[in-house]
Amino acid sequence: MPGVIVKELTKRYGEVAAVEGLSLEVKPRELVALLGPSGCGKTTTLRVVAGFLRPEAGEIWVGDRCLSSPSAVVPPERRRMAMIFQSYALWPHMTVAQNVAYGLRFKQEVSRAERERRVREILKVVHLEGFESRYPGELSGGQQQRVAVARSLVVEPEILLLDEPLSNLDANLREEMRFEIRRLHEAFGITTLYVTHDQAEAMVISDRIAVLYRGRLVQIGTAHQLFEQPRTRFVADFIGKTNLIDGVAAAPDRVARGGLSLRVASASLKPGAAVTVSIRPHEIALAPASSPRTPGEGVNVLRGTVQRTSYLGDAIDYQVQVDGSDVVLRVAGPPPAAVRAGQEVTLTLPAAACVPLTDSD
Amino acid sequence: MAQRWRFPMAVLGVLVLLGGAAPASAQDGHLEAAKKEGKVVWYTSLVLPSAEKVAKLFEAAYPGIKVEVHRTGSQRILQKLMQELQANIKNVDVVHTSDAGHFVLLKEKKLLMHYTPAGVDKFPAGFKDRDGYYYGLRATVNVIAYNTKIVSAVEAPRTWKELLDPKWRGKLVTAHPGYSGVIATHVLALVNHYGWDYFKQLAQNRAMIVQSAADPSAVVASGERSVAVNGGDYSAYQLKKKGSPIEIVYPKDGVPLVVSPTAITAFAPHPNAAKLFTDFTFTKDVQQVMADSEGLYTGHPEVKYPADKPKLDELKLLQVDPEELEKRNEEIKKRFVEFFGA
Amino acid sequence: MDRSIPVWVAAALALVVLMALPLGWIGWVSVSSESGPTLAHYATVFQDPQLQKALWNTVVMAFWVGLASVALGAPMAWLTARTDLPGQTLIRGLIMASFVTPPFLGAFAWVMLAGPNAGLLNKLYRNLSGADDALVNIFTMPGLIFVVAIYTFPYVYIMIANTLALIASDLEEAAAILGAGRLRVAATVTLPMVAPAILSGFILAVLQALALFGSPAILALPAGFHTITTQIWSFFHYPPKVEMAAAFSIPLLLATALLLQVQKRLLGRRGYASIGGKGGRRRAIPLGLWRYPALGGCLALLACAIFLPYGVLAKAALSRAWAQPLTWDNLTLANFTFTFFEYSATQSAVLNTLELGVMTATVGAGLAALLAYVTNRRLIIGHQVLAFLALAPIVIPGVVLAVGLFIAYTRPPLLLYGTLWILFVAYVTKEMPVGYSQADATFKGVHPELEDAGRILGAGRLRVLGEITAPLARSGIIATWCFIFIGVIRELSASIILFTPATKVISVVIFDLKEEGQFGPIAVLGLFMLAMTFGTVVLMQRVLGRDFMGAKE
Repeated sequence: MPGVIVKELTKRYGEVAAVEGLSLEVKPRELVALLGPSGCGKTTTLRVVAGFLRPEAGEIWVGDRCLSSPSAVVPPERRRMAMIFQSYALWPHMTVAQNVAYGLRFKQEVSRAERERRVREILKVVHLEGFESRYPGELSGGQQQRVAVARSLVVEPEILLLDEPLSNLDANLREEMRFEIRRLHEAFGITTLYVTHDQAEAMVISDRIAVLYRGRLVQIGTAHQLFEQPRTRFVADFIGKTNLIDGVAAAPDRVARGGLSLRVASASLKPGAAVTVSIRPHEIALAPASSPRTPGEGVNVLRGTVQRTSYLGDAIDYQVQVDGSDVVLRVAGPPPAAVRAGQEVTLTLPAAACVPLTDSD
Repeated sequence: MAQRWRFPMAVLGVLVLLGGAAPASAQDGHLEAAKKEGKVVWYTSLVLPSAEKVAKLFEAAYPGIKVEVHRTGSQRILQKLMQELQANIKNVDVVHTSDAGHFVLLKEKKLLMHYTPAGVDKFPAGFKDRDGYYYGLRATVNVIAYNTKIVSAVEAPRTWKELLDPKWRGKLVTAHPGYSGVIATHVLALVNHYGWDYFKQLAQNRAMIVQSAADPSAVVASGERSVAVNGGDYSAYQLKKKGSPIEIVYPKDGVPLVVSPTAITAFAPHPNAAKLFTDFTFTKDVQQVMADSEGLYTGHPEVKYPADKPKLDELKLLQVDPEELEKRNEEIKKRFVEFFGA
Repeated sequence: MDRSIPVWVAAALALVVLMALPLGWIGWVSVSSESGPTLAHYATVFQDPQLQKALWNTVVMAFWVGLASVALGAPMAWLTARTDLPGQTLIRGLIMASFVTPPFLGAFAWVMLAGPNAGLLNKLYRNLSGADDALVNIFTMPGLIFVVAIYTFPYVYIMIANTLALIASDLEEAAAILGAGRLRVAATVTLPMVAPAILSGFILAVLQALALFGSPAILALPAGFHTITTQIWSFFHYPPKVEMAAAFSIPLLLATALLLQVQKRLLGRRGYASIGGKGGRRRAIPLGLWRYPALGGCLALLACAIFLPYGVLAKAALSRAWAQPLTWDNLTLANFTFTFFEYSATQSAVLNTLELGVMTATVGAGLAALLAYVTNRRLIIGHQVLAFLALAPIVIPGVVLAVGLFIAYTRPPLLLYGTLWILFVAYVTKEMPVGYSQADATFKGVHPELEDAGRILGAGRLRVLGEITAPLARSGIIATWCFIFIGVIRELSASIILFTPATKVISVVIFDLKEEGQFGPIAVLGLFMLAMTFGTVVLMQRVLGRDFMGAKE
């Protein structure tokens, strides 16, 4: 089971570069999600990998085969890949069984009887036994999705590509299908590239996430790495909620904004450089100013006034105006609400949770 | 249902008549060659049902030789013929229009075959080209026709000049010299007689304009207009025979005579069939059919005319010279359009 | 990229044969004389008072046809798309019928209906009122405008109805909830949103009227006036003045191109008409007491376009004298016998028409499908140029196209005049925009991912084309075929200049018969043509499973 290597990939449409200098490695049996907002180049990357597009620069390697380069592109049908499309792309004029069996027809070694057996088997795996002779138009959205999955898995591809496969499903079904896809991945262990714009989906499904922004790869890592140690402002903001405070490095481990000074989880800042500090709402500890447990003056302890509290069921969202500063922080705390709007509070920002971001993006 | 049987009966009648006569009178040498050619292409301005009837008679008399009838107005025939020649298409064998000027033109351009059909020597001079290229197949006179349900015999105009009376405004219909040779001839005859002023005044009465010389009488018969200011008498005569409310006036100030020539083209692709067909159309029997059921005049001296039609020699005929017709063709069309608008 | 070279060469060749050659010749002939280049033909053409009048008549007619078409089409579109008007299916069906009715047949039928004296309607009026005058005279400019408009308004109708169908009721209800009355909503919300559609419908109707030959030839010539098209046609009468025809074609060509440019601008901005169109439910506006008067109005108009003309054609086909009452004595089948068995031109014309119809539709639909596939899937560089080329002939009115083809193909090396080929070339050119738009819509409806899915699973491009694209596009392509076929069998304006006696088609025979006043056979052939048209329409509806005027989905 080979992996996929994307080397310095550039793809342009006319003057506009959709993907520029993108490099990425998907290890054998790994599932990597390409995550980013629309227009970031993730679908273009996937389509270059699939062989539908010819790159202007760079190469695509699968195992020891170079499949795409500016001078030669192995056509999609000879790449031993399978792909699941956003629209599912089920052929409306073929039955479920015909759809699923289509790719097996091009495998010489699979006999007719074997083909039928494998179709039956894969339909069982996706819980669609008995639907063989239905047409796609007669199925629900979730069932169509399963047919698309079955059609791709039955050919036992070396590489599986998924292009926003869940975006057409309603919220409940989408959540269910995330686990289903992860289950199938663990069962079949196919090297997979998965395109999505939904960070929660990427976090549930993938082994690693590659975040794309404006045609470039900005960061790749596990969900945990991206969440805890975002390298850029974009990643911090895109993966989960965060507070971003723009300031200037006052010392190697300190960032200042107006009267506000924060110690951060780094000791190598260049004094005078612009730095943005990211801190997740749930990392901030909040206490009423009058409370006996209120910490006194100390490192990263701020005073402020609650502007608004919102009840979210499993959490309370506070908006706190920091005294003597223009900074408003969002803080997440467990219900019930500890304070009301208008009350004075103190906030504790653990230095280890204050991630300094030096990239401009 | 009498109508349905008229045509087959006519065919049968002619077959009986032709029984011995026709094949014998046709030059036997032609016959074999003509049969080999298999068809003859006839561009004709003879009104459609009459043309089809002549064609069917020929096909019945000479099985195996088809007649391809292409019927349209005289001017359109010349137009298409010249366009085809420009594109080097040689399609037509026999040309027949009502504009004698066309034949002057075609003769000058050496597009006609020198051929004298059998039996035409007995025809009067007005039916024969002195150089022997074309011969008058039929003749008609331009007449006034009126609808008897709308116009009483007393009110009806008796002369061309009476049509200028403003009381006819909006009630007249004319055919077009840019389409019909009969009408081109008619216009020239009256221009020579009364000058262009006559048509200038006639146009003041806002005549409806149709194309074919056969159409004015059809329009009058339908009641759409009350009086036709021109058109061949034969079409009005046929309508009258069919019981349409139409009456014919042969104006006392003279009736323009239109002799419609026929000729074989110099480049005829089926020359033998063309000769056979031309001979056939000049036989007494076919000429008699034209006189009987079509109400046409012919040059054949032995043809008998229906009792309810005037003889040609009883009418004051206005004749035009084919060469003048050819020369003034442009002028006729242009001034007509100028006066009548289209 | 090398693979695309043959396609390029073929496209360039097709361009030369179909468009550049005829148009180039028109331009050249219009400025050349025996003594070198000249503008004399233009001077002659534009100084001649007769021709000036023809130009002016055309402008007047086209403008009023445009207005009348909007006045008829817009209310009907609103009524059928938006209200609870009863009998909507029937009305749509009848509008479609008027859309496919050859305008010259309609004009011909209206001669029998509203000729000032013998016209059946005028006779009826006189009998009822005892008046001497006619109620209507069809041989007038207003008469011509009326007859053209009742067969042109469907263009406006389709345009507006399809736009209205995209606007969700929410948008209107949003205004209503803010306190706007029903009329105010229509005036302030609905109307501005469909305004581009109305304007471009107007332009479409004007374009149709400009290019029309048959109706003016049947109604304007007897009334003593010309339009540009009939004037161009009469330049071909012997002795032909082809250079005049060419010079006179140029203004028509320019006007068409200009109007289309304007329309394209308008449609380009149409985007906002469909904002919020997705998912919005449409609720029928109750007409209340107005339901039946509105229905009556629609049916009255459609009676003018369909019932009356078809009725009078049927009557003329079955009677000895069309103007007389249809009594037992007047009843006959002789017109049918004559038309099909005695009139030798009919059979060859029917054969020619069918041959040309099938040939043009097959080649045209094939070519359109190929072009649409190439442009939709961007298979070669410069595919936009191909799309432009396929749509370009829309600016060439039939008569002008014929003038160009006549000049181009009556001389070596390509002597096509006198053969069916010249008509074939004319028809393919003329129908290409319609065919391409149909095929384009078809391929737009086949999601490219359906093909990609086949590719990635192991099927080559040709295999995918055969096993996936072709079956999915089949009904759309058959519909394209039908569209072209219907367009070809009714074509008159180009045929009338390009035919020779050996290559007549049905429409030309009808026109010939009309010049001779043979009403019975015309009616028979007209009904025959309608039967062929409606047969094709029924086939097309079957295949598409919907009525073909609607927007897809």
